Amino acid sequence: MTDTPPPVRIEPVRRSIFGSTSFIWIIPILALAIAMAVAWQSYNDRGPLIEIEFENGAGIKKRDTELRYRDVTVGVVEDVKFTPGLDGVVASVRVDKEIAPFIDVGASFWIVRPELSAQGVSGLDTVLTGVYIEGAWDSQIGPAQTRFNGLTDTPLFRYGREGLQIALRTTGQGSLTDDAPISFRGIEVGRVGKAQISQSGNFAIAEAIIYHPHSRLISRSTRFWDTSGFTFSVGPGGAEIDFQSVATLLSGGLTFDTFVSSGSRVTDGYMFEVFEDAETARASLFNASEVQPLEMRVVFEDNISGLAVDAPVELSGLQIGRVQGLSGVIDADAFGDERVRLNALLYIQPSRLGLPGESTPQAALEFINKRIQEGLRARLAAASIFAGGLKIELVQVDDAPPFAGSASRGGIPIIPTTESEVSDVAATVEGVVARINNLPVEELLDSVILFLNSARAFVASEDLQGMPEAVTGLLGDVRGIVTSEDVQDIPVRLNATLSRFEAILAQLERDQFTTQLVAAVDAAAAAAQGVTASVSGVPALIAQVEEIAAKAAALPLEELTQELTGLTASANAVLSTDAARALPADLGAALNEINATLRELREGGAVANVNATLASARDAADAVAQSTQDLPSLVARVSAVLDQASRTIAGYNRGEALSRDAQAALRDLSEAASAIAALARTLERNPSALIRGR
Amino acid sequence: MDVAGQNAQILSAREMGFVACRRCTKVWPAGTTTCGRCGSAVISRDTLSLQRVWALWLVGFMCYIPANMYPMLQTRTLLSVQEDTIVGGAIELIHYGSPGIAFIILFASVVIPIGKFLAIGFLAISVTRPSAVSNHHRQVLYEVVEYIGRWSMIDIFVVAIMSSLVQLNTLAAINPGRASLFFALSVIFTMLSAQAFDSRMIWDVRTDQKRDDAEGRKGHAAND
Repeated sequence: MTDTPPPVRIEPVRRSIFGSTSFIWIIPILALAIAMAVAWQSYNDRGPLIEIEFENGAGIKKRDTELRYRDVTVGVVEDVKFTPGLDGVVASVRVDKEIAPFIDVGASFWIVRPELSAQGVSGLDTVLTGVYIEGAWDSQIGPAQTRFNGLTDTPLFRYGREGLQIALRTTGQGSLTDDAPISFRGIEVGRVGKAQISQSGNFAIAEAIIYHPHSRLISRSTRFWDTSGFTFSVGPGGAEIDFQSVATLLSGGLTFDTFVSSGSRVTDGYMFEVFEDAETARASLFNASEVQPLEMRVVFEDNISGLAVDAPVELSGLQIGRVQGLSGVIDADAFGDERVRLNALLYIQPSRLGLPGESTPQAALEFINKRIQEGLRARLAAASIFAGGLKIELVQVDDAPPFAGSASRGGIPIIPTTESEVSDVAATVEGVVARINNLPVEELLDSVILFLNSARAFVASEDLQGMPEAVTGLLGDVRGIVTSEDVQDIPVRLNATLSRFEAILAQLERDQFTTQLVAAVDAAAAAAQGVTASVSGVPALIAQVEEIAAKAAALPLEELTQELTGLTASANAVLSTDAARALPADLGAALNEINATLRELREGGAVANVNATLASARDAADAVAQSTQDLPSLVARVSAVLDQASRTIAGYNRGEALSRDAQAALRDLSEAASAIAALARTLERNPSALIRGR
Repeated sequence: MDVAGQNAQILSAREMGFVACRRCTKVWPAGTTTCGRCGSAVISRDTLSLQRVWALWLVGFMCYIPANMYPMLQTRTLLSVQEDTIVGGAIELIHYGSPGIAFIILFASVVIPIGKFLAIGFLAISVTRPSAVSNHHRQVLYEVVEYIGRWSMIDIFVVAIMSSLVQLNTLAAINPGRASLFFALSVIFTMLSAQAFDSRMIWDVRTDQKRDDAEGRKGHAAND
């Protein structure tokens, strides 16, 4: 530290600008220059600021919302403020410099936002990106303007959708719907804008656009009508429901048609009327037609009510005019009497006649006069079966008397008439009504009422109501019995039994058994009396009685009784069979099947046998009855007298069994007889049963 | 703040008649213009250093203005595009309830760069005129500025990483905003500015002061 270096000689720095300045200053200067350049450029490129006033902000965002023209961004909203009175929003938009000159007085702006309507969805992209402002202006540079009023809705007329601009106004009760489509043959060719109510409030008016190239469809004779909603009509063709499309059903819609060909082109701003339906629109063509109508008149001989003012005048079914006025006319000079005639004033539309060349009243008159010479005549006709009104028809009558010129009344030409068609119809209907009137309706009704009363009483009777069941049951029984085989066997077996019975009875008769027996008994009685008189002779008597008894025992009575017993047993067996027991009922019901059997019987002489047998049987039965009347007393007496001898003749007690069997046999027999009698009665009552088998 | 040896008499190399090579630190006698060892230019005091400092400082500051005005980050999702400036993003974070992150962002992107500007400006001014701050403090300040300068780039890193990671096409995307470029430039220029500062000049101030005083005294003496 002791050796201090010599002080450094400090030379003053040369103060030259270049020497003392570092080159590094170029950097900030360069940066500044760049910054300045950028700033200047951005300022230079910046377009003018325009202000658009809207009713509300509707999602406009500062520095974010774009201004678009034909969907290309041409500006950005820089600021959103309120108007001084807070009654609106002002969006300041910085527009591109190139496009700015075109934003002139004619520019319009509106906010595009998502919209959901009956016609569809629009502005869907703005859901994601946010709303934007759409601008429309023409390609001409006009007077500049920086403050605009924004539209509340998308305007109808805007560049890019050019078309014919027309105005529509309602008539009568018609209505207009905002933004309704105008369709033609189902294709949307235009659109209705915002509808407004007129100042007087009696109609609505809206501007509408028909897009190019469909605008050529529009002429002055085009008529618009409402197709919104649907129409429902019932007519001769049946029920009819009509609506254009679902969209028009919901939101309303218009369509149009040009009914007549003649009609000049329309220019922007032409006003059309909107009619309620196609019919009204078509009819209106005459009211507002620019062609002067041809006035003609018709004088009808017969004054028929039903023709009214505005009634159609038709030629070959096509309406060519209408009745303008009606009056009565008395013209003694022209018609020769003082009768009142119907005078109809017609307005004929020349354009409806489809004449070549220009449609003028003069041409129409010439045409009609020419047709009149060929036989054209006017007549009244029913306009409609349902409506009941009348119309005037011009028809061709082949053998029409020539018409000598028009007797002019006030210079109006006359159309000659022919017989009205309406009277024919009326006459026919009248005839029918008269015939209906003459029908004896009341008498017929009385008879019918009477008949119906009787019928009701008859039908209500209990017998009749029970009859079907009885008949059904009876028939069922008959069918069951007749088909059984037993029934068919019965006659054969009956026949055999009866013949045997006959033989027995005949033997009995031959033997005179009964008389002998009676005599013997009488004798015995006498003897018994003798016995009682003289007891002494008793042993002898007993011996005699024993003799008698022996004799009696010798008699073939035992065999007889055995036979009788056998017979009755067999008869009993026969009669006690189920078939025989059922016989009476069967017989009563089995008439038909017997038919065949009887034929058999008749052939074999069975009937005769039966008759003979029955006669014998009757005789024998009488005899038997007689004897059996005596027999009990006899037997009583015998038993009383001979009870001492009962031991010896104990075997004879069979007599009781005999009588019991005989009685049973007779009872059965009488039942059989009564059954046959019933059968005979039935046959008597209903002979045809034998033949028909029922 | 006391620094050790603050009050001790410090002799600068220049005062002792030496000059050090800044590359290889070899000390040469004053007046040497080329290092005999490494061959680099040897200069005792870079007289143009302050100009460079100020020039780069100015550029950095110029870049810092648009870095705060323009959006730093552009977050684009399906429905919206969000652009946030540095301060705006921090405020938004505070609103969202993350004051900690907001504080970090504000500290790294606002406080540090502005502090650097102030520090460098102060140092550059302080070497030309007397200062109340001791040389030791200024040296510490310089070292802190130089050390912390590179960390300001963390913002740029965050933006770069975010925008490279979040690229989901239409769904969501994060893109660096215009401010990120300016911010990076600003950081770079302030770093260059700090590097351009010849810290040896800090120690000349007192010396010059003393010399001036001494000369003044001599002058007075002479006048007297």
